[in-house]
Amino acid sequence: MPFTRRDFLKLAGGSAGGAAILAACRPGVREFIEQSPARLPEDQATGTDNWYATTCRQCGAGCGIVVRLVEGRAKKIEGNPKHPVNMGKTCARGQSSVQAIYHPDRIRRPMKATGARGSGAFREISWEEALNILRDNLKGLQGQAGTVSIVTDPAGGHLGGLVQEFARAQGAVFTQYEPLEHSTLREAIKRAFGQERIPDFDIKNAAQVFSFGADFLGGWVSQVRHSRGYGEFRQGDRVRGALTSIDARFSSTSASADTWVPVTPGAEGKLALAMAHVIISENLGAARAAQALTGGRGAAALDAFAPDRVAAAAGVSAARIRELARAFADRAHQPAIAIGGGSAGAHTNGVFNLTAIYALNHLVGSVGVRGGVLPNPESPLTSLPGAVSVRLLPKAGGAPYTAWKAEVDRIRGGAVKTLLIRNANPVWGSPSALDVAGAFSRAGFIASFSSFLDDTTYMADLVLPTNLPLEDWGDMPLDPAPGIEAVGFQQPVVRPFYETRGFGDLLLTLSQDLGYERQIPWTTFRDLLRDGAQRLYQLRRGSINAATFEGFWNELLRAGGWWDETRTGTLPATVPLLDLTDADAQTGNAATYPYALLPFESISLGNGQLAQLPWMQATPDPIATTTWDTWVEVNMKLAEEQGLKEGDVVRLESPSGAIEAAVYPNPATPPGVLGVPIGQGHKAFGRWAQGRGSNPLAILEPRVDAKTGSLAWAATRVRLVPTGNRRRIPKMENSVLAVDFTKEIAQVTPKD
Amino acid sequence: MTTQHAQSPKWSMVVDADRCTGCQACVVACQAENNVPLNTDDIFKQKRAIEWIRIERYWEGEYPNIKARFLPVLCQHCENAPCEPVCPVYATYHNDQGMNVQIYNRCIGTRYCANNCPYNVRFFNFWEPVWPESLRNQLNPDVTVRSRGIMEKCSFCIQRIRAGTRRVKKEGRALADGDVVPACAQACPTDALVFGNMHDAGSRVRKMSEDKRHYRLLERSGTDPNVIYLKRVDPTATEGAGHE
Repeated sequence: MPFTRRDFLKLAGGSAGGAAILAACRPGVREFIEQSPARLPEDQATGTDNWYATTCRQCGAGCGIVVRLVEGRAKKIEGNPKHPVNMGKTCARGQSSVQAIYHPDRIRRPMKATGARGSGAFREISWEEALNILRDNLKGLQGQAGTVSIVTDPAGGHLGGLVQEFARAQGAVFTQYEPLEHSTLREAIKRAFGQERIPDFDIKNAAQVFSFGADFLGGWVSQVRHSRGYGEFRQGDRVRGALTSIDARFSSTSASADTWVPVTPGAEGKLALAMAHVIISENLGAARAAQALTGGRGAAALDAFAPDRVAAAAGVSAARIRELARAFADRAHQPAIAIGGGSAGAHTNGVFNLTAIYALNHLVGSVGVRGGVLPNPESPLTSLPGAVSVRLLPKAGGAPYTAWKAEVDRIRGGAVKTLLIRNANPVWGSPSALDVAGAFSRAGFIASFSSFLDDTTYMADLVLPTNLPLEDWGDMPLDPAPGIEAVGFQQPVVRPFYETRGFGDLLLTLSQDLGYERQIPWTTFRDLLRDGAQRLYQLRRGSINAATFEGFWNELLRAGGWWDETRTGTLPATVPLLDLTDADAQTGNAATYPYALLPFESISLGNGQLAQLPWMQATPDPIATTTWDTWVEVNMKLAEEQGLKEGDVVRLESPSGAIEAAVYPNPATPPGVLGVPIGQGHKAFGRWAQGRGSNPLAILEPRVDAKTGSLAWAATRVRLVPTGNRRRIPKMENSVLAVDFTKEIAQVTPKD
Repeated sequence: MTTQHAQSPKWSMVVDADRCTGCQACVVACQAENNVPLNTDDIFKQKRAIEWIRIERYWEGEYPNIKARFLPVLCQHCENAPCEPVCPVYATYHNDQGMNVQIYNRCIGTRYCANNCPYNVRFFNFWEPVWPESLRNQLNPDVTVRSRGIMEKCSFCIQRIRAGTRRVKKEGRALADGDVVPACAQACPTDALVFGNMHDAGSRVRKMSEDKRHYRLLERSGTDPNVIYLKRVDPTATEGAGHE
């Protein structure tokens, strides 16, 4: 029965009942702060908006954003026009961080598990009680090395440094976890360019870009920065750049490319070397680089990778390979950039593939030149402030699979008494062959620092709700940097919406209580960041010119970061010798498992970390236009032959498990490949993610790259079994009446 | 029918299909700015999703020589808008700045306008929009939440046009290019969406609209749209080819 205003007045009129009702309807204390409008802080004044700069943390790119606030509430994200990474622009994911703050299923208060582990029964407790439990637990394990394991999502900068110091003081093991890490990319970059920092690709000024598996216009590494360059690459004030996509799957980048070359998964490196063979043998490129790469032997060193020998394995004809090589090295269209990543690096020969691809840049002389591959300088902040420690800050990025597996096995073996997890969701993101949930059930005690009750937090004994990035302090040494020294800073643009606390602040509180002040002398994370900023201030250069530190600090937060355009990176003068070992990709048995499974990063859900947000769930996939579900891209002709229609539910079976997904016949999917988006299949994670779709990461075989131990997530083969069930796929395609009957809607022209 | 003062701006958008990568940033930015109801999976299945701007994807050719073409489609703000004369209550009309405007509290939900729109960019609210209480904190106070039974569509972010005009007036100067940027164009990472005043000879939209690649959607239907498209360039295409 609705309770109307009239009912309310009636009740309030009677004295005894009225008092009770009024007491029950009292607004929350927070809302009851009375101040005259004249004395309101300016971000609370009615009708006025305010904009605050900070750093976006929806992925690892570190774009600068400005957040619109009205009456203390975050309303809208926009790009920070002055920020060197994204220059005023955002992606779909960046827009959605405001939605996370007001998500109805956020964890509001600390909680303690009341039932069996994983039963999902929790009781809210006070912060004091929660911190007491955690402190007593950690105190009991002091001096027992390895009994505490700390697992976080990628944490670099001062937060990473703080976790590292805390782990050292406690004797804990610190591991960063993310489902698809970039170890093979970093290793290949190190081999090709002699440094671990991912370079800046000057797409804006390039004449050609060849992308091997790297969906750089999709979610790969730094989408907004790449897209910013791509717009100018196509229609800037110059000759139109040409884009070639060499990819086992038709990605967003393939869709935007002039030429798409479907390649056999795992053969990207061989194809690149075949191109190198052509460039060297036909003397099309830089002779000195060719000498260095081949150890002076020239094309003969690459004879095993001659186009005729590679054609069958790569599924690309020798004539086509020669065409590609000649186009890439065409002197009239330089500089040409070769970018490798994504599925090309996610095979047992991942480092081989990516190194061969990046070596192509040396061959055409596009390393370190305008419009080419630009090296990045080291971050000016490499250790924690003060004389306490000279240990390097950790690089943000997940540990390779073998290192992660070693830690999981240690937990499974019962060596870990206490597991601290922050924002990482390995129970969902690791292959089921690893049985992370089973291993975690052997940990003595699990505490999770998280904003949401995700699959992993669900298993915790103690839940400590943390601030979201828009409510918290932070910094971000940019990696990749935008070709110059740059550090992004993050400030709380809104007050915490619930009773949450910052992860950094919590670690510092614990450090005080546990007696680690000598190693970790700060009381708030803001103090630690300010000390870090002091170092930038003392450099007396860069984008901020201030007479005092206070002035510098204010300007740092106002601008959302610090950068110095005069400090670019330098490359070693030598070109490396190519390592030709581990050339063959190992996948499963093609006879029993006929299809290559290619999981791909969703443009909206990322690698699953944004699946709780309804805006991201409702964002159509650029190619399939699908939303809210897990689908499997099946070649349209193949689907017809197999009698599969859109929405038919099929089982994808690998030797490591099976998932169900709805068929989406896709005319651009290669017949031997099945593409499945990553992001769904959560057992928990709020009302919009829970129980929705399935997770292709679960059925991956635990193969790893031979050189780094990184998970070869594109090296699993599957078979496809119809279930006889059907479901309608929620999608945008055909959602509105077709307007394209005139064939005049999407017009094209051959001439720029 | 339009009345135009020489000094009043004529708002227009140029969509460069050669820059668009179909990334959906504009779509989400628009929903965040304009309090568009949450598109749940059921709503998609009913084909009633509301996207004031959407990315259409067209296929061309066959595997392996296949191309995907992306095209952002929003209200075309036609000068001869087919939606306007059919509204029995004058809820949709043309203002003096070249925009097709929807007055929510006049609308009685006949849906004639949506039936008459050749671009399918008008959306009917079949249900009362629902947000969990906490999510309402995100709603933009400058934009009306539309109730059940009325039409909505792209407004060119009229709240931003108003705010920009007010700000400029307060500062005692004339509107300059870039003073008003709708949410979609603000987000667009490749700068495929450009907004501005067509009456300003120096504006980016004016210059881009003179590009030889320009065309307008369903031009022959005579709707005279204020959204101008620049053709996607494909060196392998033949002149005059469209999608299949």
